[in-house]
Amino acid sequence: MTTATAPEPTVYHLRRSAEGSALDIRDFNLWYGKSQALHDINMEIQKGSVTALIGPSGCGKSTLLRCLNRMNDLIDDLRIDGQIQVGDFDIYGPGVDVIALRKRMGMVFQKPNPFAMSIYDNVVYPLRVDGVTKRSVLDETCERALRSAALWDEVKDRLKESALGMSGGQQQRLCIARGIASDPEVLLMDEPCSALDPIATLKIEELIHQLRGHYTIVIVTHNMQQAARVSDNTGFMYLGRLIEYGDTNTIFTNPKKKQTEDYVSGRFG
Amino acid sequence: MSDTTPGGHSDDYGTELRAQQSSDAIASRLRQRDMKTRASVKLGEKVAKWVITIGGLMVIVAVLGIMVFLFRVVAPMLGGGEILGNVRYQLDTRQDTIWNNGDEFQTLGTVVAAEGRVITFHIPTGTEIARTQWDFNGAEVTAVAGTLARDRIALGFDDGTVRFAEVGFASTTTSRRNLPDGLRDLDARDRELDGRVFTEVGTGDFRTLSPVVSLGESQAISDSAIVALDYRIGGTRERPTLSFATVDAAGVLRVSRSRVTVNMMTGAETVDTTTVELPSLGLADGVSVTGILLSGSADRAIVATDDGVVFRYDLRNFDNPSLAEQRRVASEGVAVTAMTFLSGEESLVVGGEDGSVGVYFRLQTGTDATTDGRELVRAREHTPMPAAIVDLSEAQRQKEFSAVDADGNVWVYHSTSDRVLFELARSGDVTTPSTAMIFPRSNGVMLVSQGGEVEAWQYRDSHPEVTLGVLFGRIWYEGYSEPQFVWQSTAGTDLAEPKYSLVPLIFGTLKAAFYAMIFAAPIALMAAIYTSEFVHGRVRATVKPMMEMMEALPTVVLGFIAALVLAPFVEEWIAAVLLGFIAVPLGLMVGAFAWQALPPRIVLRYDGLPKFALMAMSILITAWLAYRAGPWFESALFDGDFKAWTTGRIGTGTPFMFIILLPLSYMAVAWGFRRVMGEFWRGRMRSMARHEAGRLDALRWLVLLLGAFVLSYAVASVLTLVGYDPRGGFVDSYQQRNALVVGFVMAFAVIPNIYTLTEDALNSVPGHLRAGSLATGATPWQTAMWIVLPTAASGVFSALMMGFGRAVGETMIVVMAAGNTPIMEWNIFSGLRTLSANIAIELPEAVKDGTNYRVLFLAALTLFIMTFVLNTIAELIRQRFRKRAFQL
Repeated sequence: MTTATAPEPTVYHLRRSAEGSALDIRDFNLWYGKSQALHDINMEIQKGSVTALIGPSGCGKSTLLRCLNRMNDLIDDLRIDGQIQVGDFDIYGPGVDVIALRKRMGMVFQKPNPFAMSIYDNVVYPLRVDGVTKRSVLDETCERALRSAALWDEVKDRLKESALGMSGGQQQRLCIARGIASDPEVLLMDEPCSALDPIATLKIEELIHQLRGHYTIVIVTHNMQQAARVSDNTGFMYLGRLIEYGDTNTIFTNPKKKQTEDYVSGRFG
Repeated sequence: MSDTTPGGHSDDYGTELRAQQSSDAIASRLRQRDMKTRASVKLGEKVAKWVITIGGLMVIVAVLGIMVFLFRVVAPMLGGGEILGNVRYQLDTRQDTIWNNGDEFQTLGTVVAAEGRVITFHIPTGTEIARTQWDFNGAEVTAVAGTLARDRIALGFDDGTVRFAEVGFASTTTSRRNLPDGLRDLDARDRELDGRVFTEVGTGDFRTLSPVVSLGESQAISDSAIVALDYRIGGTRERPTLSFATVDAAGVLRVSRSRVTVNMMTGAETVDTTTVELPSLGLADGVSVTGILLSGSADRAIVATDDGVVFRYDLRNFDNPSLAEQRRVASEGVAVTAMTFLSGEESLVVGGEDGSVGVYFRLQTGTDATTDGRELVRAREHTPMPAAIVDLSEAQRQKEFSAVDADGNVWVYHSTSDRVLFELARSGDVTTPSTAMIFPRSNGVMLVSQGGEVEAWQYRDSHPEVTLGVLFGRIWYEGYSEPQFVWQSTAGTDLAEPKYSLVPLIFGTLKAAFYAMIFAAPIALMAAIYTSEFVHGRVRATVKPMMEMMEALPTVVLGFIAALVLAPFVEEWIAAVLLGFIAVPLGLMVGAFAWQALPPRIVLRYDGLPKFALMAMSILITAWLAYRAGPWFESALFDGDFKAWTTGRIGTGTPFMFIILLPLSYMAVAWGFRRVMGEFWRGRMRSMARHEAGRLDALRWLVLLLGAFVLSYAVASVLTLVGYDPRGGFVDSYQQRNALVVGFVMAFAVIPNIYTLTEDALNSVPGHLRAGSLATGATPWQTAMWIVLPTAASGVFSALMMGFGRAVGETMIVVMAAGNTPIMEWNIFSGLRTLSANIAIELPEAVKDGTNYRVLFLAALTLFIMTFVLNTIAELIRQRFRKRAFQL
C-alpha cells in the first residue's frame, strides 16, 4: 500500500446478462516479488457477453487476464491472494488441474502465434493434446472452429498448407479458431488486434460480434474505440486498481469517476 | 535539411511566414552547432573498423593458410617421380659382362666380364678407376648370382665348380687435413687418386670410396657345368651362413650351405660346406630349368622352368629337402624367363617370356595340394612389358624392382602401389641383352649391356609406395590372405611393407564419434529440454554455466580416467554395466510413476528439492542393484561369463538381442496399447482422482513393460532361429580398451557442446508459441515435444552436428583409452584408432618429408575437411533456422 489514505472503492454499474456470471473475481491481489500489481480486484464477468479491460500501459489489465487461465504460473516470485471462481471451483484453489483449467479457457494473444504446422493441425492442436485421435472428430471440429472464426471459406482448400503462409489477420483468426476448437467456456483475448492493420482489425471485431452469446469473451485492449465498439461491459483499470466497471456506454459517455473520464477523453494514458 | 521549407501550401500568408521564420531559426541553430563529428570519435571509429576488418581477414587467412600448408605438404606425395639425368659410355671389356654393382652414392660402379676382368669406374663420367684381372684357371663362367646387396657373388663354371667373389665398395671419411696431394679431378664434385674417389660432403670432410674386389677358392659341386645359380648370405655378420643353390647341365639341383668359422687367435677363416641334392623335378623331355632362387635363410628354393611352372622346395629340414609345391605361373609353353624376391623375400616376382610380370605370395592356406599347407598365390599382375622379360632386379630397401625386356626396354616398377614408376628412355644400343640394377637408395638405375656399354639414370621418386589407391583402396599386402584396408606405417623390420590405408583411421574416427553420440545425444538433448522447458529460471542459470564449465575439462584428464579407472572397472564389471544401462532408465521410470501415485498433498509439499533427491536416489539405488545383480544377470543370460560369450564360443545371440530390442519392443507395445484402447483408457483416467489415476497408470506401465519383455525375447529368439547372431558384428570379443569406454567418456566431452547449443536453440523459440500451446491446455512436455522441439529442430540438428564434429576431432581421450588398434569392425567391445590419435602417436616418430610424415599430414587434411564439412553443414542449417525463427 503506497497511498496513505484508503483508496476509493470501485464504481460498478454492470449490465448483467441473463445467464449470470461466468467468472467471479473476489478480493484479488497479486504481487510480483515485493511490488503489488493488482489491488483488491472484485469483478463479475458476465456469461455470454463481451467484457473489455482498458487502461493505460502497466495498469495490470493483461496481468489480470493472464490470471484467468493461470498463464502467469511460470513467472518468478509471483504471489496471489483472493479467489477467482469459475462456476463452482476456484482457479487458484489447492489441487487445481491447471491443464484442465486451460482447456476451459481459450486464449488469443497480442501477436498472431500460429505453430509451424499446417492450418488443420493448428486448429485441432487443442484436441490432439487432449488425446483425441479419431479422424472424424478432428475434421468436424476443424470445420466448426474455422467457420466460427469466419475463416473456413478462405482456407478450406489449403488446410494442409503451412499456417505461416497466411496473412497476419488470417493468422489471428486462425488463433481464434484454435482458441475455440476445444469449445471453451471463456475466450480470453489479449490485445488481439494490436499487431494488425485496420481492415484485419475490422474483421476481428466483426468476429467478436458473431461470437458474442456463444462464448464469454474477455478482451484487453488499448484501443478505446474498439472497446466501445465490441464490448458490453468495460472495466477501467489504473495503477493496478479497478477504477470503474460497468456498462460500456456509461463508461464512455457518462463515466462516474474523474479518472475514467480523463482517460476515455484522452487527457492521459 | 535546413534549406527545405516545412509545411504544405497554405492560404494564410502569416502562417507560412511564421513557418519560414521558425525554419530559419532551426537552420541557424543547426548552423551554430558543430556539424562535424569530433575527429577523435571519427578516428576511433576508423581504427576500430580497420582493426576488426584486418583481424577478421587474418582469421580467414589463417584457416585457409593451414589448409594450404597441409595441402602443400601432402601434394608431393601424389605426384610422380622425375628423371634427373642420365649418362652413357662404353667400358673396355672383351667378353660378355656378367655382373655389375654400384655404390649407394652413385659414385663408383664395378662390372665383371666373363674373361675375369673387373673394371671399377666413376659412374657420372665413366672414367676407369681400377682394374683387376681374376684368373679362373681356364674354366668358363656359365652362371652367376649375387646377394641382395650385390657385393657378394657366386660364379658357376663349366667344370662344375663354384667360386665366391666380392665386388663391393669400402667407404671411409677423410678430413680435409689428411687429403693426399696429387688428386685428379673427375668432375666438379669428385676427385680421384690410386683407385680412391674423394667426394666432399657437407661437413667439410671427404667421403672416400674404394672398390673391394676379391675372388675366393673354387669348390667342386657337380660333374657337369653349372647352368643356374643363386647365392644368399644369412646368419650374423660375425658368423655368416653362405647358401647357394645350383642347377647343373644334367638337371641336378643342389643346395649347399657353407659355415665360415673365424679363428679368433689367427684370424684364419675355415669354410665348411655341406651339399644336399634336391628331389628331382621329374621334368618332361624338352623342358629345362631357367632359373633358381634361394631365400636368405636357405629355407626355401624356387625353381622355374621354360614351361611356365615354378617349383617350390621346402628346405627347413636341410638334410631332408622336399618338393613342396608346383605352380603354373604362365600359360603352357611360356617360359619363366626371370625371377626375383622383393626385399623381405615375401613377394616372388616372376617375369615371363610373354612380358608378363606377376607377383606371388606364399600364404598359409592350409591347402592339401602342398606338403606344408602353404601355397604360392598370385597377388598382383603388373603392367606387362612389350617383350620377354630378360632381367628382374629388386631394390634393396623398397618394394621396387627393375625389369628389362628383350626389346631393351627398362622399366622401374613399384609392387605395393602397382605402378610403373619409370619407363626409362634408352639412348644406346638396345639390341644387346642387358642387365639392370637399382641403386641401393632407390634413386637410380644402372644398365650394363653384355658388350660393356653402361647407361645410368638418376631419378627422384620420394613416395613411390603411395597412390590414391593405396590410401583409400584395398591393397593386397604381403602375408595377407586377401586385399584389405590396412594401416601399419612401421613394423618390426625395415623390410616390412608400409601400409598406408587411411580407411581404417577414418572408420575408427567415425566409430568413436558414433558411439560417443549414442551416449551424448540423448543425454544432452534431454538435459537441454529439461533446463529450457521444465525448470525454474534460477536453476537454469546455475546448471548452464556448470555444463559449460564441463566443456573446459581437459580431455587428457578424461582420457586418463577412461584408460586407468573406467576401462579396468568396466572390464571387471561388464555385466553389471550392461545391466545398469537397462536398470537406471527403468529405475527413473519407476520413480516417476511412484511420484504420480502419491497423494496430492505430499506431491505439493515435496515438489522442489526432495523430488530431485528422489530422482538422484533412484539412480543410485538402481546402479547399486545393477552392481549387486551383475553376476546373477551374467549367469542367467550369458552362461556366467560375458567375455567368453562375446567370442561366440558359448551361448546364443538371444540374450543380447533381447536387451537391445527392449526399448523398441516397449515402443511397439505402448503404441499397440494406445491404438487399441487409448480412448477408453483416457476416459477412465479422466474420471479418477489424480493419484489414483497415477497408481493405475503405474500398473498399466508394469503390464506394458512385461509385454515388452515377452515381445523382445520372442523377437530375439526368432532372430536366433533364423541364424542371426550379433556376435561377429557389432558385438565381438572383448578388449579392455574399447569403443564402449571411449564412447562413454567422449560423450562427457561432447555433451556440454550439444547441450549448450541445443539449449540456445530451444530458448530462441519465441515465448508466444510456448504460451500459445500452454494456453490450449497442452502439458509442458507436449509443448516441448510438439511445438518447441520441431520449431528448434534445425538448431538442434546443427548442435548434434557440432557435437559430432567435436567427437571426430577429439584426440586425447581416444589416444589414451581407445587402444589405438587400426582395425575395421563395428564391435563395440574392440578398440579403434582415429585420425587424430594416429597423428598424435606417429608424428613425433615420422621422418620429416618422409612418406609417413606426408601421409600423416594427409590424415590431418582429411580430418580438417571432415570437421570443416560437418561444421559447415551445421552452420548452414543454423542460418536457415535463424531465418525461419524470424518469421515466427
